[in-house]
Amino acid sequence: MNTSVENVPDLCETLEDNCKKVVDKIIKTNREVFIMYSLLEKQMCGYDIIKEIFSRCDVFLSQGTVYPVLYTLEEEGLLHAEYSKGDMRSKKYSLTPRGREVAEKDIENFAKALEQISFLVKR
Amino acid sequence: MRSMLKDAVNGLDEILFVEIPEGSVILVTGAEGTLKSGLVFSMMANHVAANNEHALYVTLELNSEIHLRNMNSLLIKKESNLHIFDYRDMRYEWMNSELDLIKMTEEVIDSYIDKYDDLTLFALDSLNALYSISEHDNMRNMIYDFFSHLRDKGLISFLIMESAQSGMSGQFSQFHQIEHYLADGTIELGMIDGKGGVKRYIRILKMRATKHAMEKHQLTIDENGISIRGTIY
Repeated sequence: MNTSVENVPDLCETLEDNCKKVVDKIIKTNREVFIMYSLLEKQMCGYDIIKEIFSRCDVFLSQGTVYPVLYTLEEEGLLHAEYSKGDMRSKKYSLTPRGREVAEKDIENFAKALEQISFLVKR
Repeated sequence: MRSMLKDAVNGLDEILFVEIPEGSVILVTGAEGTLKSGLVFSMMANHVAANNEHALYVTLELNSEIHLRNMNSLLIKKESNLHIFDYRDMRYEWMNSELDLIKMTEEVIDSYIDKYDDLTLFALDSLNALYSISEHDNMRNMIYDFFSHLRDKGLISFLIMESAQSGMSGQFSQFHQIEHYLADGTIELGMIDGKGGVKRYIRILKMRATKHAMEKHQLTIDENGISIRGTIY
């Protein structure tokens, strides 16, 4: 590859793009952890979660990948869902006590795994 | 030992002699009130109850609470490994966005497979509803791709499709002929007005790579759930 001075901005852009792709893939594959992380502080609906992850991580999780996670976590008793007052159509999710335990543990494990991967690939 | 899908409804083995192969896409057609949703949900519930597997029932027509209420009235019990997905929340929260519900449905299936790698059965209730809220320039390509996606996942898929009226057996509108060509199987449900009053029937019109009866058989529902009985004419 030609890495002359004129091509350095292009190269940086490519590296940035590649990095973004990797981050994108990691977040999409581990969306359950990111969804539960979003719910640590407050209750949210699917729409709010997608928006929150996008503004925080610059990654758009599509609706078809987020709502099934919310439904299955609710089935497993890790999330509690309730309709907003006066609006029977918008369902807000919050972590149950067991869900919070699982979320905190999963987030910790995820961070540790990333640290370990980072250590493994450092030269 | 793994229980067969053909044993999932009482009497189904009388009309379906061998197991449906993995990756089969099966249309379940019939007019309203012919027990399409009940039969499919019952097969899935009984199958996952007998096997340590998961199944996904996607409902576009009703929300999951109403669907479950209807199934309860038919005495069909939902198993914990039979998952129901409805689009109510998604469609309401994203009402100002254009959603490609066919792509979404594929993503929903993939998400459940990510979570449960032993997901073996899928149902969509209904294909008509999916069409009515999807805007695609080339529906034929879309149907082909959607069927291919289901096959590639190795699922046995039941696609519920409401037909205009009972007694139109074998007669499908030009628009819906493409599904019949592409599908591996077609199960027709209907009603016959005979001497003893109106009776429901089931008939397997097509089921690739299997052996099956061709005759119409009576479909009944009682305190033991849905059953398939003798031939009916």
